[in-house]
Amino acid sequence: MKIAVCIKRVPDMEARFRIASSGASVDEAGLKYDMGDFDGYAVEAALQITEKQGGEVVAISLGPAVVQETLRKALSMGVARAVQLEAAAIPFDGFAIARALAAELKDGGYDLIMFGKVALDSANGVVGAMTAELLGLPVVTACSKLDVAGGRGTARRELEGGAELVEFPLPAVVTIDEGIARPRYPALKGIMAAKKKPLEVKPAQLGEQRATIKSMELPAERPPGRIIGEGTDAIPELVRLLQNEAKVL
Amino acid sequence: MSPSNVLFLVILLLAIGFFVYNVQRLIAYLRVGKPDSRTGEPLARLKNVFVIALGQRKMFREPAAGVMHALIFWGFIVLTLGTIEILIEGVWAPFSYAMVFPGPLYSAYALSQDAFALLVLGAIGFAFYRRLIVHPKRLEGDETEHTDALLILGMIGALMLTLLLTGAFLHVLAPDVVPPEKMISRALGEGLGWVGADTARTGYLLNWWVHALLILGFLNYLPYSKHLHIASSIFNVYFSNTTGPGPIGVMRPMDLEAEDVEQFGASDVEHLTWKNLLDGYSCTECGRCTAACPANITGKVLSPRKIVINVRQRLMEKGPLLTGDTGELFSPTLVHGEGGDAGNETVGAVLGHRLLDNYITEEELWQCTSCRACVVECPVSIDQLEVINELRRHLVLSESRFPPEIQPAFESLERNGTPWAFSPTDRAAWAEGLAIPTMAEKLARGERPDVLFWVGCMGSFDDRAKRITVAFARIMQAAGIDFAILGQEEKCNGDPARRMGNEYLYQMLARDNVELLDRYQVRTVVTICPHCFHQIGNEYPQLGGDYEVIHHSTYIARLIEAGRVTLRGADGVDSITYHDSCYLGRYNDVYDAPRETLRRALPIVKVTEPPRTRSRGLCCGAGGGRMFMEEHQGKRINVERTEELLATGAGAIAVACPFCMTMMTDGVKAKGADVPVLDIAEVVEKALSR
Amino acid sequence: MANVLAFAESRAGALRKVALEAVTAARALADTAGGGEVHAIVAGAPGIAGEAPRLGAHGADRVVAVEHAAFANYDPESIAATVAERAKSGGYRAIIFSASAQGRDLAPRVAAKLGVGMLSDVISLEVSGDAIVAKHPAYANKVIATVAVTGSPAIVSLRPNAFTPVENARAGTVESAQPAADPGASRVVVRETIKGSSTRPDLTEAPVIVSGGRGLKAPENFKLVEELAEAFGNAAVGCTRAVTDDGWRPHSDQIGQTGRVVSPQLYVAVGISGAIQHLAGMRTSGTIVAINKDREAPIFKVADYGIVGDALQIVPALTKAVREARRHG
Repeated sequence: MKIAVCIKRVPDMEARFRIASSGASVDEAGLKYDMGDFDGYAVEAALQITEKQGGEVVAISLGPAVVQETLRKALSMGVARAVQLEAAAIPFDGFAIARALAAELKDGGYDLIMFGKVALDSANGVVGAMTAELLGLPVVTACSKLDVAGGRGTARRELEGGAELVEFPLPAVVTIDEGIARPRYPALKGIMAAKKKPLEVKPAQLGEQRATIKSMELPAERPPGRIIGEGTDAIPELVRLLQNEAKVL
Repeated sequence: MSPSNVLFLVILLLAIGFFVYNVQRLIAYLRVGKPDSRTGEPLARLKNVFVIALGQRKMFREPAAGVMHALIFWGFIVLTLGTIEILIEGVWAPFSYAMVFPGPLYSAYALSQDAFALLVLGAIGFAFYRRLIVHPKRLEGDETEHTDALLILGMIGALMLTLLLTGAFLHVLAPDVVPPEKMISRALGEGLGWVGADTARTGYLLNWWVHALLILGFLNYLPYSKHLHIASSIFNVYFSNTTGPGPIGVMRPMDLEAEDVEQFGASDVEHLTWKNLLDGYSCTECGRCTAACPANITGKVLSPRKIVINVRQRLMEKGPLLTGDTGELFSPTLVHGEGGDAGNETVGAVLGHRLLDNYITEEELWQCTSCRACVVECPVSIDQLEVINELRRHLVLSESRFPPEIQPAFESLERNGTPWAFSPTDRAAWAEGLAIPTMAEKLARGERPDVLFWVGCMGSFDDRAKRITVAFARIMQAAGIDFAILGQEEKCNGDPARRMGNEYLYQMLARDNVELLDRYQVRTVVTICPHCFHQIGNEYPQLGGDYEVIHHSTYIARLIEAGRVTLRGADGVDSITYHDSCYLGRYNDVYDAPRETLRRALPIVKVTEPPRTRSRGLCCGAGGGRMFMEEHQGKRINVERTEELLATGAGAIAVACPFCMTMMTDGVKAKGADVPVLDIAEVVEKALSR
Repeated sequence: MANVLAFAESRAGALRKVALEAVTAARALADTAGGGEVHAIVAGAPGIAGEAPRLGAHGADRVVAVEHAAFANYDPESIAATVAERAKSGGYRAIIFSASAQGRDLAPRVAAKLGVGMLSDVISLEVSGDAIVAKHPAYANKVIATVAVTGSPAIVSLRPNAFTPVENARAGTVESAQPAADPGASRVVVRETIKGSSTRPDLTEAPVIVSGGRGLKAPENFKLVEELAEAFGNAAVGCTRAVTDDGWRPHSDQIGQTGRVVSPQLYVAVGISGAIQHLAGMRTSGTIVAINKDREAPIFKVADYGIVGDALQIVPALTKAVREARRHG
């Protein structure tokens, strides 16, 4: 079983973001970066498959030199080797990323290519399916369960108010939702071992970028907490606010 | 030399030879452990030996058992002198100390022998009474352990009886030989006056031989018994650091940069230090540690005694293999105790075992609150906690095994510099509008404050603890202290990560903090959190950070003492009880300052004490990273402690630690009680006269 | 003058609300771009063409109905091929999907097949010169990005509920079409569809969470919380660590640092003081309502709407009021 996991370096979403002076990106000062949450689930799911069935997991990430940190994290979790597709910046255009990844993955001989279902920074969630189309492979998006055996895979996809179980042949592309497996915490032993694992750097073939960010703004600040009243007398006011102000009822 | 002298000499030499063989064997097993320098500051170590070992100070923490043990122990020392006389006499019959000691000294010696023999007999009687009739809970172990204890008590009792009877029969035979100071032997002899000379001779010889052989038998039984502590504990106390020299309660430094390190922490005996292994030899399974353990008290499986015994069991199992001591491999010594797999095994099985998992389970290890009650309680200065800490390090650093709920804490520490998922940008939100400068602002103005207020994560992010932070800041402002905070630059001190075994994460945080503090040339740090206090003050020196760190309880006491804050007395409550924080008390010996502060702030209020208090205070349950773990087994520790505090009938509970604050507040809520929990800073702040 | 194609999502033979949102947005886009036609493409089992009038009512000039027995289940490969085929022949300026589970799956496939750029999960949409410009929540909804895509057709997916369906009647002429790829040849096959259970949704997905703390006083009082969740219709029930510690609720219900981290649109905290451990798990919720008897409780610092008082009295009354509001609203 040879598995590729495509991961993205994203800032910690707990941070309080500020807009950079360019007005079209977030201010990177003070932000902590790691692989995306869903990418972490994908790496864990991939490792669990190869731990059970043998094989190797390769992590791939596109971006400038700093993405090597993210790749090292994957290596410390147990990934065998890593590939950096070098680009000056990580583009917003998912199709450009998919093109570069597909070029790298095309002749890799992978049985399974895994993605997190979305990276929460650009929040597009399109790269996995686009890469699959470019490679002509079947794809299942947002899997919350995944089993592979005998050249076939079965997965569970979460839908609004339900789910579906799908079956597909390998090789295939899957994108991973939460619920599949909690990413392991790398032991220090793994961190030390990761320093010695191979990390290959290749240029990314991005091509034209049609989707771009023009500007950014912060949504209105959350107002400070307020007490609207005491006891059951306050209920009509609460219901009114939920309906008219918060629009959640 | 009579034939019997020759016979005795042969027996004596054999006995000593066998004992020496066993001693060198046990010492060889210690060499299995990692090196650890424990020779510095010999004077401080000797003092420990005099006070703790010879003076039996910790024994008296339990008065009845303490007196009993001290009598047996002191009697043992005194009577050893007599033993030597008897052994020499066995080889050369005419020998007596009377030949070498001046008269008065010999008289005193003679008196001491009889007197202590009687005292020891009395103590042995009491010991039998406890073991057979009272059955104190802490002495309950498995069968072997009990038999061993009874056997030893029986031997000591028999030694005393034969000693006295030897004197008695000698008195019958030759009334002038037994000195008058041996009053008890003589009195017994008077009572035996009716026996004939032959019977008396037989009785004398029988008792002498039984006594002498018992001594030699006892000597050679020790290496096969938990009573090895008779020999090992004095050395153990000398080499121990649990009461100094050096800062107490600090975790062992770890060099993570070392390239060749393959093993992080300990999963088996060879990863522990020789001192951890010597601890095993020194444990006589008295159970005082386990009786003081908050986890054990509340019905959890963790037992510090079991940890130490298991280290010893495993050493006895694996030591012979590692030292090539094939003779002992299948008849392990000192093998008995609680749990674990030790026993006669194949080499393969022995190698397939390890200390972790086979003897000490993950479950036990994660139940520890690192409160240090076990360490403080141990009469022979064993460090149970160090073994727990080293095993936790292995679990996290080598195997990434830990309760799943602490992973978010690790990840948040890494990303946000705080165990909770809060943004570092919110760290100083509590200070808005209070006119408290940050170090950066001070530096920008070219100023350097006298004191850095290290707020800590609880004090920065937890809404309840923020009130403590604000209260303390107001006290310092009232006292006109020139202080600053680090604001967003502060990070967790690393204690939770370190106590949870994640040394790597700890060092990342601690090194950042040391660099930051050094950049601001900080000298004096005050903090409201005992964990920050202990960590920065006592453990940062391992990473090159040297600061004077003062906990706010001490700092406030000093401000009051110096008259820099004036208090107008209190209203509201009429009595208050104080809950000791472990990292303040048992780790740093700060017991009086918070109490004194309370008395000064609340002069008309009665300060009540729960039964478990000061160095015996029960942990709140949050230490050792327990704050971030679920409590699955037994009663909740914070509820147990809250019940004790509520039972004092006090109108309020005072704490000096934000973690204790959370745990006690939750405990009061769980009990449905209506007793406020206040930090001492809040008590003082309310009493400020302005 | 440019036509816009809207993908009208259906499930089990019926249109979903997001289909109407897509048509509405397509209509608005076509109108502002010079008044082209809106074509809605709907794929389903035979009979799905019967939904065409609703699409027409919301602004579709033409409804392309692709009926096939295999489309009783979602068949991503065949449907993506069909939409792409239609796009190639139709000369559309844009193709609008919903960023629903199905739309998120379908839109990037179609974009890749056509080799064009796309915008995902947008909350507004307009034409600006040769680009289509949209607002797009990014960085875990903490930043609103204005994004643009050039080229034709531009693929866009709409955040569900961000566009309100508006009636704007057009012809809605039905045009039948065949799948562009044989559904029998699809490699990804749905084996089983699992209906959302009648029980409440999972905590991490639920749009509304009602959560209880120790202020409820006894485990049996959790039924008040459950009734309130019931009244909201689609709410999950959560609780605090203290409550799971006391064994009132299973650990899986715990919200907080050591439990689940949630971010619903509405979070109702009942009898919860708001300890740090709990706040860490729900702070990012959309609207927070708190009911607690202690006015000083930290939960009120983060609550948009707080009511001070006894949860045991307030909750039943609130349950009644919410039922009323939902019945009439």
